[in-house]
Amino acid sequence: MKEELFASGRHIPHIDPYLNIWHWPIALYLFLGGLAAGILFFAGYFVVKGKEKEMPATVKWATIIAPLALVIGLSALFYDLHHKLYFWRLYTTIRLSSPMSWGAWTLMVITPLSFVWVASYMKEMFPKWDWKLEILNKFERWVIKNRVPFAWIMMILSIILGVYTGILLSAFNARPLWNTSILGPLFLTSGLSTGLAAIMWISKSEQERKVISRIDLILILVELFLIIHLFMGFLAGTAVKQEAAALFLGGEFTVTFWVFVVILGLAFPATLEALELRGYHVPKWLPPFLILFGGLAFRFIMVEAGQITRFLY
Amino acid sequence: MGPLIPNGIINGDWSFVIALLIGIAFGFLLEASGFSSSRNITGVFYGYNFVVLRVFFTAVIVAMVGLLYFDYFGWLDLSKIFILPTFLKPMLLGGVIMGLGFIIGGFCPGTSYTAIAIGKLDGLFFAIGLFIGIYIFALAFPLFKDFYYSDNMGHVTLTDVTGIPAPWFAAGFTVIALAAFWITMVIEKRVRKNFTEYKF
Amino acid sequence: MDTNHNRPHYINPYLGGVLLGLLVLLTVYITGRGLGASGAVKSTVVTTAKIITPAKAEHNAYMKKFISPDHSPMYNWLIFESLGIFFGGLLSGILFGRVKKFRIEKSPKITNKTRLLAALAGGILFGIGSQFGRGCTSGAALSGSATFAFGGVLVMLAIFGTGYILAWFFRKLWI
Repeated sequence: MKEELFASGRHIPHIDPYLNIWHWPIALYLFLGGLAAGILFFAGYFVVKGKEKEMPATVKWATIIAPLALVIGLSALFYDLHHKLYFWRLYTTIRLSSPMSWGAWTLMVITPLSFVWVASYMKEMFPKWDWKLEILNKFERWVIKNRVPFAWIMMILSIILGVYTGILLSAFNARPLWNTSILGPLFLTSGLSTGLAAIMWISKSEQERKVISRIDLILILVELFLIIHLFMGFLAGTAVKQEAAALFLGGEFTVTFWVFVVILGLAFPATLEALELRGYHVPKWLPPFLILFGGLAFRFIMVEAGQITRFLY
Repeated sequence: MGPLIPNGIINGDWSFVIALLIGIAFGFLLEASGFSSSRNITGVFYGYNFVVLRVFFTAVIVAMVGLLYFDYFGWLDLSKIFILPTFLKPMLLGGVIMGLGFIIGGFCPGTSYTAIAIGKLDGLFFAIGLFIGIYIFALAFPLFKDFYYSDNMGHVTLTDVTGIPAPWFAAGFTVIALAAFWITMVIEKRVRKNFTEYKF
Repeated sequence: MDTNHNRPHYINPYLGGVLLGLLVLLTVYITGRGLGASGAVKSTVVTTAKIITPAKAEHNAYMKKFISPDHSPMYNWLIFESLGIFFGGLLSGILFGRVKKFRIEKSPKITNKTRLLAALAGGILFGIGSQFGRGCTSGAALSGSATFAFGGVLVMLAIFGTGYILAWFFRKLWI
């Protein structure tokens, strides 16, 4: 079986002239990871703030997506692994310097946590729900009683998860496009925004949607600001960095990036959200759909484009 | 200086991004002018709504005069812009078929896209029709290939054909348009008096 | 926002015309050619044919003109412009409160079915005509005339002339 070893440095096979081993499963995983992080963060946030009642979709309904997204994302990741049977070895070690180790451990905790979170709301969402076993009922009561500490843990972990989806790429220093510290916050912001989009799509309460879309609007602006900074950083950098930026500023990825990510995935839905907040009638599904599509496109473009960028010889 | 992309002032890789932005402006203007409604559009043929004529003529005049000014100031190299080629008979036939399609369907391609955007199913059906029509055309193309390429006059302008300088055409067009604006305003007022079921 | 309009709210047609004219001017200034719309459907047709019946599409005397080995026929200026037309129309529709549920606009004298069939038939004719005409109302008539192209004026006169001649026969569809 062919294998690829990941290490920081160029003197290993399949790194030069360009990397071509990361494909759609990685992009999908980064997208779903960010989406789950966004949903879980805001579920936790509004519980901590004591706004459970006002934000039912955020706290309860949307969180059903999170465990599903994590499981599908991890399956995609697992599918992408060559040594599938050895994945457990990630859990034999803790390496603070490795984003993969951080990610693996965070996922190890947050995935079951997301299941527990959804489970603890099952009875509220479906009144006829019954856990059948007394021990499960007991566990449920304990979780419900300790929901606020749970929410805190979830918020912290989801931020780590969101940042990690970006750091996973940026720690890979053989790729100039990825190797920038802005990628972490950028992916986190984008993940939070896609999470909010999913909540908005589900929510039936006008009031809740207003709160959510107000936060989302700010996040989109932050995201656009970070994207501008990303390119400013590249353009002020060395020749390889400038070359990486050139892919987006008059190169192969210019059209896909600006059309589908920046204009249709961020600026247009932000405009619609702003109009909606001012009382215009906007089809409810439209801004969330565009944001989610833009977020997905963003991951695909970053993963694909990053592999093409390289250091000069 | 201009045109910017053919002259390399804007990198060609940006052209599709610009296409999207121009398209958004175009779609916005079409919809805001009322072209997402087929009954507004066909009003021009029955005298109850001349919005098509007004928008269309004004746009042509502004663009014509603008191009002349851009040329005069040296901002735009008119020899570098695309001039639609003329194939006399095929294009006349095409225009006639489109006219028939226009009066039956009530849209033209661009306006049908905006009609879809605001949720009109007739616009969607029109666009599906466009797709089928072009498919039929492509499949049947061998039958009339010679006709399609016949009467090729090249990329000729009005000036090339008639010898009259372009500014005269712009001026003539403006005079005709102003007259048309006034006449149609009178017609519209009269026709609308007899209309009850249609809201303007 | 008052969404309960009795009459549709449109911008002044002369203002719309001036802005549209400036847009044509800007488009020519930037890209060297005008606006268009039917070309996007043509690209879609070629792409569809290429996917469903690749051999046929490549041997079709008409479609092969638009097939390039470098990129998909969808990678086309007019495709992105038409995508923009859709979103621009949507934005305007939202601003003026016209984005609503799916609906059919027609004369009260005809049924929905008649209207949809007429729209389909009109679309088919327009599709065929636009290929002979080297463009539709936007590409040939508007942008063509604006750039003083003889063919553009020709197509414009043919479209509107035919419309006026035949209008009487189809009056039931509209009034």
